Amino acid sequence: MTQHRRSFSRYGWALAVPTVGALLLTTACSGESSESVDGANGFSLTYATSNNLESPYERLARVYMEENPDVSIELAPQPNDRYGETLRTQLQAGNAPDVVQTAPGTGQAQGIVPLAEAGFLEPLDDAAAELIPAGNESLFYTEDELYGQPVDLTVSGFVYNTSAADAAGLDEFPDATAELLDLCETLANDGTSAIALAGAAPPNTGMTAMSVSATRVYAETPDWNQQRADGAVTFADSEGWQETLETIVELNETGCFQDGAEGGGFDAITNGLAQGTSLGAFIPSGAASELQSAAPDQNFAIEAFPPPEGGDPYILASSNYSLSINAASERKEAAQEFLDWVAEPEQAQLFADISGVLPVTGVADVDLSDTRYAPVGELIQSESYTALPNSTWPNQSVYDELSTGVQGLLTGQSTVDQVLTAMDDAWEN
Amino acid sequence: MTVTTQGRRASEGGRAQRPQNTGGRSSSPRARPSRARPLVGYGRWWWALPGLLLVLGIQYTATSVGGFFAFTNWSGIGSFEWIGLENFREIFQDPEKVRALGNTLLLAFGSVLLTNVFGLMLALALNRGLRTRYALRVVFFMPVVLSPLAVSYVWKFIFDFNGPLNQLLAAGGLQELQRPWLADPNLAIWAVLGVIVWQQTGIAMVIYLAGLAAVPVEIEEAAAIDGASHWQRFLAVTVPSIRPAIAIATTLGLVNGLRIFDQIMALTAGGPAGATENLATEVYKEAFSLGRFGYGAALALLLTVLILVCAMLQQYATRDRSKES
Repeated sequence: MTQHRRSFSRYGWALAVPTVGALLLTTACSGESSESVDGANGFSLTYATSNNLESPYERLARVYMEENPDVSIELAPQPNDRYGETLRTQLQAGNAPDVVQTAPGTGQAQGIVPLAEAGFLEPLDDAAAELIPAGNESLFYTEDELYGQPVDLTVSGFVYNTSAADAAGLDEFPDATAELLDLCETLANDGTSAIALAGAAPPNTGMTAMSVSATRVYAETPDWNQQRADGAVTFADSEGWQETLETIVELNETGCFQDGAEGGGFDAITNGLAQGTSLGAFIPSGAASELQSAAPDQNFAIEAFPPPEGGDPYILASSNYSLSINAASERKEAAQEFLDWVAEPEQAQLFADISGVLPVTGVADVDLSDTRYAPVGELIQSESYTALPNSTWPNQSVYDELSTGVQGLLTGQSTVDQVLTAMDDAWEN
Repeated sequence: MTVTTQGRRASEGGRAQRPQNTGGRSSSPRARPSRARPLVGYGRWWWALPGLLLVLGIQYTATSVGGFFAFTNWSGIGSFEWIGLENFREIFQDPEKVRALGNTLLLAFGSVLLTNVFGLMLALALNRGLRTRYALRVVFFMPVVLSPLAVSYVWKFIFDFNGPLNQLLAAGGLQELQRPWLADPNLAIWAVLGVIVWQQTGIAMVIYLAGLAAVPVEIEEAAAIDGASHWQRFLAVTVPSIRPAIAIATTLGLVNGLRIFDQIMALTAGGPAGATENLATEVYKEAFSLGRFGYGAALALLLTVLILVCAMLQQYATRDRSKES
């Protein structure tokens, strides 16, 4: 027995050694990802991706490496729907890549402001400062330090299938909401919807409400969010916000949305617009180029959602994506050089060409008349736009209340007052 | 029963009886007591140490730290403050969270009840006699081995407004019944429950089939000869014999039912407007989507306590009462 026990112990240690080794190896593998980047000029870059098309970040990295053969960039694409949470976890754990895609403001998990306030981001140099749109400084700065470099100008308007509109015999896009409602009734009788809505997808219901709010709230009071932050106004008492949500209810009751819109997902939008069974949808302008790829026989334009009778057209346009440097990075210099290169106009145009958005710099000098941005070209060049409202809301819960509240309006679970009151409560929390 | 009692007696008298149990070879006073040790005592206690440390470190320490954050306002990054019971106060004052708690209980008890009733019915039907029973068992068990996410996405397609269910209704001339099933606030939670029951019934069936295999045929036959009806035999012979299977099936079903997550996220993502949220989806939403880690941890702690209490009550309710007598 003793002999048996001794041999058992010996074999046990033989088993234990590789086990401990495997654990150590696992621990080593979970260390800082940038350590695997070759060379002193190498660095890692993470960004969100939602399809298998070439990401603009990937193209930028590839071109940069071609121009700088001594630099190697390790790409770390991550699924779009979990990007914010993953980035936060990596930053918290200290193993985030050197350059990270962020979002201006506070409204998202990868928002620049909360990440900078938590000490996870490195201040950037002056090259990025020149790209910040006037009036949007609060989305990128914290305590006079700049933490994010914008890479795009995205119009969050109404992507409109002009081919389907032509087929339906429509000459012009409606100038006022009343005209749109008339159009909805006509189209509904023909089995077509004016608007495809992903009612079960909170990002789309929220985007719809914010796009409508551009003409009801922000056209007259561009600094409404600041007034709300100062406590001078509330959602529940705002006529503009009440009118915004009432407009959505009216659109629903008039049959502007496709049948079963309250349960629709993003496939309802892509299928509806690609097949021409819906004329338009509230989606970011960059999605129009993806739709164009999916439906080459259709043509798409970016329209401004029609204002109320007597109102002025106004749109949402802002930088929705930015790049930042991880404060824990050991390759900050190489990362900053890359960001300086990205800030140059050629790279801004390259990013815009691939992603279908507008370039972050020099848009005032760009001729948009022959592009899908032609209908909103004048608004862009006259700066009749504001940033996405939720980018300066204090937390993500406010937007969550808006987006789920809109679905509640469609299903009859909520009233306009209930939704707006819930948004105020979320703001205070 | 007899075996259990004997085992307990042997266990209770273990040390005192050991010298006698060593048989002829232990007649020598120098015989080592270690010879009589069970196999588990063969090695050293510290062989269990790595496993214990891993369980303590990964499971219990992490859970305890998560429990600590339930009393803070941590956002998931940066600093935090100790706020005592404020998160719990907010949970019980928020109608949406109270509704999520109600949905949690509805899905848990609803799925336990329905999967066990259907599972037992299937097991009884496929226990003996039917020639195709083996093939049918495979058919009914197959949904269990599929991914809950995959199953839920298939059902989401079926429930879609333009999906097969509504098309079937239209083909049958029942257009007035067409609706967005998963976006109807009155029906969505029942649709989720239906999918869960559809997938989980197979596991209950297998547990009951194992239990039914232990039902003595001669007792059933004796009862039949005595004139007992099918129902009387089921209540007086079958149910007492499969009590352990009932305990296992209901315990597993209840614990799984309380933490349903995948099916809700895939089918409705908690919608429409929160109508199908349960505590598990609220934990995820608050902690990771909305950046309120402390609040999410409080919800998770509440869910843990709920599972613990329900499991204890269920164990008490399905205990073997024959031992007490």
